[in-house]
Amino acid sequence: MSHLLEVKNLDVKFDTDEGRITAVENISLSVDQGEVLGIVGESGSGKSVTAKSIMKLNPGNTSYNEDAEIILDNENVLQFTSKQDLKKIRGGKVSMIFQEPMASFAPAIKIGAQMVEQLLIHKNINKDEAKSISINMLKRVGIADAEKRFNQYAFELSGGMRQRAMIAMALSTMPKLLLADEPTTALDVTIQAQVINLIKDIIKEYQMGVIFITHDLGVIAQVADHVAVMYLGSVVEKGPVNEILKNPKHPYTKGLLQALPDINNLDAPLSPIPGNIPSPLDRPTGCVFRTRCPHHNPEGKDGKIEMKLIEVEPGHWVDKCGIQCGQNG
Amino acid sequence: MINFIQFTLTRAGLAVITLLLVCFIVFSLMELVPGTCAERYLAFKNTQGSQITYEDIEKEKIRLGLDKPFLYRYGKWVSNIVFNGDFGDSCILRMNINELLSGRFTLSLTICLVALIFSYLIAIPVGIISATTKYASLDNTLKFISYLGIALPNFLVALCIMLFMTVYYGDTMTGLFSQEYENEPWSSAKLFDFLSRAWLPIFVLGWNATAFALQTVRALMLDENDKLYVMAARARGISGMSLLWRYPAKHSLGPVINSIGFDLNRIFSALPIVALILILTEAGALLIEALARSNDQQLAGAIIFLLTATIVFVNFITDIILAIIDPRIRKGVMGGG
Repeated sequence: MSHLLEVKNLDVKFDTDEGRITAVENISLSVDQGEVLGIVGESGSGKSVTAKSIMKLNPGNTSYNEDAEIILDNENVLQFTSKQDLKKIRGGKVSMIFQEPMASFAPAIKIGAQMVEQLLIHKNINKDEAKSISINMLKRVGIADAEKRFNQYAFELSGGMRQRAMIAMALSTMPKLLLADEPTTALDVTIQAQVINLIKDIIKEYQMGVIFITHDLGVIAQVADHVAVMYLGSVVEKGPVNEILKNPKHPYTKGLLQALPDINNLDAPLSPIPGNIPSPLDRPTGCVFRTRCPHHNPEGKDGKIEMKLIEVEPGHWVDKCGIQCGQNG
Repeated sequence: MINFIQFTLTRAGLAVITLLLVCFIVFSLMELVPGTCAERYLAFKNTQGSQITYEDIEKEKIRLGLDKPFLYRYGKWVSNIVFNGDFGDSCILRMNINELLSGRFTLSLTICLVALIFSYLIAIPVGIISATTKYASLDNTLKFISYLGIALPNFLVALCIMLFMTVYYGDTMTGLFSQEYENEPWSSAKLFDFLSRAWLPIFVLGWNATAFALQTVRALMLDENDKLYVMAARARGISGMSLLWRYPAKHSLGPVINSIGFDLNRIFSALPIVALILILTEAGALLIEALARSNDQQLAGAIIFLLTATIVFVNFITDIILAIIDPRIRKGVMGGG
């Protein structure tokens, strides 16, 4: 069975004044219909860049490798250049919701006008139909007084309501794939829970595929079916969410889990991952995690070993270097 | 709608208060200058050879109402301007200021406003293009031209053009009218003559103003273009001109409109130097003359009042425009509405 989305061997590089920066290296992922793939990682690990590649939203200085493929609905998105094709992946088959709902609505355009504008681009309908779809969608995401909110501006809504409105806008065109870029990070914990439940309901109802980006493993545990852990632009471990959370193999994944406070033992010291993320400008060759590997690994240290994901359990893939890093200690 | 009227009235009220405050400062400054108008006038006559006595000064003071208290005279000055549109007499020239200024202030203002309008008509689209173009060479060329506009002093540009016109066309391009039309009443021929000469000061002032406005528009556009909502709009499939105009351009317009009043002031300040070189009979030069040379406080006060009134009025208009285009300002000042 072919996947809804399949990313194969993707490299993303940015040309900057300081040189060419590798933001993402050799990533392969897949998402099925109705499935939530969580992508976890620290800031700068390439989560958002990967998601933006799917919509070709990265800035003009971006380059992709020639053999990379992003197959969505049997079409390679990376080949898209025409306005018509790009429209399909921008707001048509793929929608994106962002971390800052305030900042992602244009401040001086009414929420309704922005929703209608999007619908008119993607659907062959008239303004009145677009308006009624928008209002129904606002109602669907739990916004009371949807008619009133339709005519308001983003700054007139509360944070949680803005996030709901943004979800409504993203879903109004019935995309097949939803990219959620830290959609709950900027919200209060109680509202965060509401928004997560809303997203889960909607996924079930519309049977869409979702890529849920976050740095919060707690959120991942609640929403994701599969998870991919990213470090410095590479996937270091991926697999079913229960497997990864209960049986992490890569030292980085273990570190992320250990860095979470334990609710039963709040006095226990948190154990952060030692060292710092290297600057993307001097990204380690070979195993990207080697500079922070807690144990000695003479082979990995000199950067001569290439990264390679190997299947340790059915569906559970771990970077080979990571396993060695753990074992040799 | 009620809110909007309320907003307009509040702004208008604030504008009037600003104007009165400025009047008061101008009038007070006029007072602070040593010597009264009577003394200055008679001193002036003295230099012309007339014999002046102390009684002459006292008589002149009473004639001019200078024996009255300060606030009374301020009230009279303001009410004369507001209710009769009368600025009184020039101290030194002994002429009614309205007559003296007639036409000149309008002329100055026209030159400044036309320069201002041209500069924004050019700066807004060109600034947007400069900020969003894919071609670095186009952006660099535009930047270079606009830096020249900022760096070159107005008078130098005026002198260069005069030199060019004199060498190649034998016309120095000075003055606003050719000699045959100088004292003629307005006609279409005179208007044409005026336009054929007025383009020079408008161009000189306008280039500099365009350069400044261009930098403002460019910086604001770059700033706005990087914001998340622009990327979010692209992610919804909006592209091309509809993306550019409706998203970053529309949202960067506010501060641009805000700078119009400030720019008018700057252009008016630059006008006297250009006027001096091009020998224009306009009000800016008269203001310098009144302030620096003849110490004619009444005349200077009148010109400063007119200039301030214009700027306050322009600011009032831009405030209204801002409230119309930006809901955050509209709802902010109007309390929810």
